[in-house]
Amino acid sequence: MAIHQQGVKDLVLAIRKKELSAQEAVNGIFHRIDEVESQVQAFLHLNQEYAQQRAKMIDQLPTGELERLPLAGVPVAVKDNMTTTAMPTTAASKILEGFMAPYNATVVDRLEAAGAIIVGKTNLDEFAMGSSTEHSAYHVTRNPWDLERVPGGSSGGSAAAVAAQMVPVALGSDTGGSIRQPASYCGVTGFKPTYGRVSRYGLIAFASSLDQIGPLTRSVEDARLVYEVIAGHDPKDATSLPHPGDPADRDRVVWEGLRVGIPKEYEGEGIDPRIQERYQTVLTTLEKAGAQLQEISLPHTHYAIATYYLVAPAEASSNLSRFDGVRYGYRASGGDLLTMYEQTRAEGFGPEVLRRILLGTHALSAGYYDAYYLKAQKVRTLIRQDFERAFDQVDVILTPTTPDTAFKFGEKSQDPLQMYLSDMFTVTANLAGIPGISTPAGLVEDLPMGIQWLGAALQEKRLLEIARGFEELWPPVPWPSLGGDL
Amino acid sequence: MSLSDEQVKQVARLARIKLRARDVAQMTIHLGVVLEYMSQLNALDTDNVEPTMHVIPLTMPLREDQVWPSLPVEEALKNAPNPQNNMFGVPRIMDGGDA
Repeated sequence: MAIHQQGVKDLVLAIRKKELSAQEAVNGIFHRIDEVESQVQAFLHLNQEYAQQRAKMIDQLPTGELERLPLAGVPVAVKDNMTTTAMPTTAASKILEGFMAPYNATVVDRLEAAGAIIVGKTNLDEFAMGSSTEHSAYHVTRNPWDLERVPGGSSGGSAAAVAAQMVPVALGSDTGGSIRQPASYCGVTGFKPTYGRVSRYGLIAFASSLDQIGPLTRSVEDARLVYEVIAGHDPKDATSLPHPGDPADRDRVVWEGLRVGIPKEYEGEGIDPRIQERYQTVLTTLEKAGAQLQEISLPHTHYAIATYYLVAPAEASSNLSRFDGVRYGYRASGGDLLTMYEQTRAEGFGPEVLRRILLGTHALSAGYYDAYYLKAQKVRTLIRQDFERAFDQVDVILTPTTPDTAFKFGEKSQDPLQMYLSDMFTVTANLAGIPGISTPAGLVEDLPMGIQWLGAALQEKRLLEIARGFEELWPPVPWPSLGGDL
Repeated sequence: MSLSDEQVKQVARLARIKLRARDVAQMTIHLGVVLEYMSQLNALDTDNVEPTMHVIPLTMPLREDQVWPSLPVEEALKNAPNPQNNMFGVPRIMDGGDA
């Protein structure tokens, strides 16, 4: 098997046994990137020299030390809203063009300490605000399955890089579905852990009470391996959870008697009939395996998008106030201080970011705070309680990840509300803080679709076992070749 | 609940963003549509519901008040648009404008 086709687990095993050197792994990955990146455009920055240097260091380690590195020699891509000292960090915004962070994000330090090799930074919707990666200030990223279509977003570069087999794993961030939705559109696995499991230190904040980092991979097992490296308490992030990881009660999921919740509110709601049909096939497969399907109710689902698009922009408007042209990033010239602020922000931010800052500023402004922000935070409580009640009855909740498959460029970018509605199955997990994972469920007319597994807070291992069990039940499909050397 | 052009300009001023006239018109339309959609939340009675402040119950993390090394000045200024005398240079605040 060519190097670029191998997953995280295969590479680690081969490198630890010294059957493959980390330098060969990095060279193999850059060979693949050279072949297909010009079509996909998943990256904003690549640093081959740095990757080769790191690989050389790994190769010089004695076998005993290699054995202790859970990601020895694994090439990794990181979404460009996480800080790295080896490459620029722009959040795909003009306001941070050329920004060189003075420190690594905690996830980056943890990856490198585990032996992983950062090869590049992936494209995203500016400041992670969007569902298509069309809102990057630099360029769009194309879906490897159909280059005329979006990869989803906001972690579109990460999903496309993994699907195009340019890296075995990429980190994404998920505020309302930004890992799971592009994973679904690109046919890869995308995992958002419980809020607080992974440190947000060095993640450029979008909506602090919703943001969570997670891996995108080509298998559930690979997602688990990377998750275990990046998760854990970090004193630099006050919201990082001190809770220990949950012990896996068994290695393999036992379908017999497993209670799978089917939320009745997710039916209809603008869902493509082909997606609905495939979802039904998945349910039938699970039932045959012995799972017990159980209809559940999440009565406040219908209010999730409205709640999310008040809470997230409100927090964003506050977080993005730091971009004022004073300490880093773009500064507009001329005028007094106030004019400099106003021009810098007008010229530095793209239209979607401006729209969300204005929406959030309005929702927090005097006279509107109670009606919008406070109201949304109260409805958020109702949504959370819906899930708490549901997990008293079932072990896992299953939904389609997205109501449709990847759409064409420009199809939704003129209608912000339409774009927002495509997040309707994913935002609830962020509002409730619970973990969710999207796994591929085959192709629908040559385009991938994903299903989403939601688990109770802090029950990641259980959720990953279930998702991995499904992977074994469901036939895999070949990866897009992109005319490259497969 | 929709917004007027004047309200959009006021919000933009609060957010320190200079909008061009045509952007004001477009933002007014877009924000109006989105806020109209948000108004469905009013259908829910939330009088006796506590707002969510933290999704996972956490106690406030505290630490000893100890001095730690912080970012060196040259590192902090590395990305500054106009570093001057080991400080961030900004346009004059009084007497209007520039240098």
